[in-house]
Amino acid sequence: MSRFLAIFIALTFVVSASSGSPAAESTGNARTATPIKHLVILYGENVSFDHYFATYPKAANPPDEPVFHAAPGTPAVNGLVTSHLLRNNPNLSNTANGADAADPFRLDRTQANTADQNHAYTAEQQAYDGGKADLFPKYTGKGTTGGVGAFGSRGQVMGYYDGNTVTALWRYAQHFAMSDNAYTDVYGPSTPGALNVVAGQTNGMQAIATTKGPATLAAPSYFVNDGQGGLTMINDVDPAADVCSNKNDQVLMSGQNVGDLLNDAGVTWGGFMGGFDLSATNANGTTGCKRTTYSPIVASAVVDYIPHHNWFAYYSSTGNSTHARPASVSAIGHTLDADGTHDPANHEYDLNDFYAAVKAGNFPAVSYLKAPAYQDGHAGYSDPLDEQSAIVTLVNFLETRPEWKDTAIVLAWDDSDGWYDHAAAKATSPSFDAVDQLDGNAACGSGTALPGAGGKPVNGRCGPGTRVPFLVISPWAKTNAVSHTLISQASVVRFIEDNWLHGRRLGGGSFDASAGSIMAMFDFRSGGHAPVLVLDPRTGNPVAAR
Amino acid sequence: MRPDGGNPQPVRLVRPAVAPLSAMAQLGRFVFFDPALSSSGALSCASCHSPRHAYGPPGDLPVMAGGRALTRQGARAVPSLMYLERQPNFSIGPDDAESEAVPAPLPPGGAATAAKQAQNAAQSAQSLVPQGGLFWDGRVNTLQSQALGPLLNPLEMDGGSVGRVAQRLRRAPYAARFAQLFGAQIFERPDGMLAEALFAVARYQIEDPSFHPYSSKYDAWLEGKARFSPAEARGYALFRDPRGANCAACHLERPDANGLPPLFTDHQFEALGVPRNTALASNRNQRYFDLGICGPARTDMTHAAPYCGMFLTPTLRNVATRHAFFHNGVYRTLQQVLDFYDFRDTRSQRVYAHRKFDDLPAVYRANVDTVDAPFDRKAGQAPPLTARQERDIIAFLRTLTDGYRPPK
Repeated sequence: MSRFLAIFIALTFVVSASSGSPAAESTGNARTATPIKHLVILYGENVSFDHYFATYPKAANPPDEPVFHAAPGTPAVNGLVTSHLLRNNPNLSNTANGADAADPFRLDRTQANTADQNHAYTAEQQAYDGGKADLFPKYTGKGTTGGVGAFGSRGQVMGYYDGNTVTALWRYAQHFAMSDNAYTDVYGPSTPGALNVVAGQTNGMQAIATTKGPATLAAPSYFVNDGQGGLTMINDVDPAADVCSNKNDQVLMSGQNVGDLLNDAGVTWGGFMGGFDLSATNANGTTGCKRTTYSPIVASAVVDYIPHHNWFAYYSSTGNSTHARPASVSAIGHTLDADGTHDPANHEYDLNDFYAAVKAGNFPAVSYLKAPAYQDGHAGYSDPLDEQSAIVTLVNFLETRPEWKDTAIVLAWDDSDGWYDHAAAKATSPSFDAVDQLDGNAACGSGTALPGAGGKPVNGRCGPGTRVPFLVISPWAKTNAVSHTLISQASVVRFIEDNWLHGRRLGGGSFDASAGSIMAMFDFRSGGHAPVLVLDPRTGNPVAAR
Repeated sequence: MRPDGGNPQPVRLVRPAVAPLSAMAQLGRFVFFDPALSSSGALSCASCHSPRHAYGPPGDLPVMAGGRALTRQGARAVPSLMYLERQPNFSIGPDDAESEAVPAPLPPGGAATAAKQAQNAAQSAQSLVPQGGLFWDGRVNTLQSQALGPLLNPLEMDGGSVGRVAQRLRRAPYAARFAQLFGAQIFERPDGMLAEALFAVARYQIEDPSFHPYSSKYDAWLEGKARFSPAEARGYALFRDPRGANCAACHLERPDANGLPPLFTDHQFEALGVPRNTALASNRNQRYFDLGICGPARTDMTHAAPYCGMFLTPTLRNVATRHAFFHNGVYRTLQQVLDFYDFRDTRSQRVYAHRKFDDLPAVYRANVDTVDAPFDRKAGQAPPLTARQERDIIAFLRTLTDGYRPPK
């Protein structure tokens, strides 16, 4: 703990035990260890750090694209330029990659629509190849083709965008703070990433309905035997009982997530997802679980709500399996309604509800946000330009709110999609299941696996996994700063616990206890003055402040 | 239909956004029109996909000629490059783009053929029907991969190898644009250079409005800005009549829920049993059959017996500008095409020289659609259409030609 944070905690009063009513639950008035009263986590999909920041802060600037020039004094990042890996990359020289062996190469803005890569638990470990990070084309470079206008090439997994495509993110990095050392807690795709950012734990899975056995190298699955008689989730599967879930494969997680702790403390919070409100009808007439939005960039109508991205639905304590609506806009974020009854939404809402609540002055303390799928950035059905539109719309909106002065937005991603990244973290959460392949057959790391939900060492949590982008946008963020502190998805949980919950931890083997701190991206001593940055959602270029 | 031939329920169509061509698309335009990429030095993409002929073949040959001396016959009629910007990927059965799981393997049994009438197109999309992809057999999914086919095909542009084409690109007058977009190191990566060049072509097709203007009289009619003539109005009704011509069962004519203009295809595959085209040199070999999904151009589904003989349903937009119809170009006029639909089952001797479905081996003839109108009649029954009805449908099809100017 930094000396500074200790002072903040010392100044903070204990939050009184809450009845959970809107009056007693705190929004902007909760005692916090930092000046941050509102944390908004926009959780994106499937991007590695190098995929978006390989050449930061230098963009190619071809004609007729949004131009990016770095501000003087911009710090270097651990990308492909500083690591001298743009040429003679080991993914080109390692002959095991066969015909797909390739150096990294720039993806143009017109190539925003790409194929999806392989981002399974085992495939990603194989690509990292004991830390050499030299088998991406062979193991994760096996994607779908993408839509009819998509770009495909040999070794496409080696492609990266620059500030001419992910223009807004590069500009936010210039005005606020980011990390170049943020990892997923474990290897693998969306659902493990969703669980780790709210609970830091993927062990303790219960299969409610399943067509699968435990994963083997020959027969992939979404769980492994943890070695202690339980199960660990390693790949994607839908949450149990959600009306939109696949009926044949559904799971629940034991243990707690940060929502449970916030409920205990009477702090307002919510999970807000595009497409969650089943009663809404989109302009194209779609509704219910099949609500879709057409994206001209990927040239298809994409379903808005994807159950296996829904963090809180995997826990019976925080689920809302019928997608029940909140009693009112003023009930959003609260456990109880004004009359003292349990609000039907149980902290799970549509993304539209977030905008409505904030506009009504009811800005929850902690908000996890997911854009409708076409804007979540996941290659294959979304893309960086649609993603940019969702990010910029959110940031522009919050910057106009009176609460902006004590708000922080975290942009984080659930997994890397399998896109190439050169930085391999040494496994500090070892695992020795047959599907672990990072450091040899049935080996990820060395020593003993970390304790799982039951307190004993469990398999299936090989990590840290892949490096992903991580940005903090706030008046309290440092300006044009890059943090090199090792953090992970569970660092978000830790920040919430440190800020609102006096450093209380989830227990049950959660990564929150060991995750790095994101504090280095803030300046709480002399900060609070980072000016707003209003961007065009389409181009990512600045627009005149309104 | 309003009495004056207007649309009683005008709609607003959502056309693709128009913006200046990106640097990538400008590069693609150079590549698209560059004959130096062919072994003959005379063929570019635009030679067969002629911008003045709806990006389809100029002239009225069934297939185009190519190769070094332009003496080799192409294998199939040249499809139009228009209206492919929303073409879905090839799949069998309903696809689920959001699923992160590995796609299910092809079903071993085969297709359940659902009757295709206009009202159950949605239901048919739920059953196991091949759909999507590019070329007549759906063998690739992206415009970029599609463009590689003719470029290297010895019967077409005959570009030789990837290395050879890359060498020609390095010498092209527009070569500097590669360095500008991809860095000078692109010249050292022939694979990458060709991928980028073909993506640029794809991008030209995606960005340039001439590939998808949605500017036909029918589009204007949908928007309440044009009126059908009496013949067009009758043709439109026949086109949509599930018990009549039933064209709209596969050639969807309504805007979709997102307001996107109709594409006049359901993107599905059909075995129609069109007659063998004896004008094709390859057909002199009695044992040669073009089986569409089952090859020979497509090689990954040669044993998918239930789909052999199936070809991708094309758009009917600009169909009246074409002079080569169906995959083998067996017909030259819309009248011949309509006669095929009219007489295939009722007067088959007018369609086939010797025997019905003569362009398919006997084992695959059962794959031919004999369920959906107008193919649900028996020999000797009355043909589904009269000569005047055929003319009316053709009048309607002419409203699908782009470049209509609404009367002032």
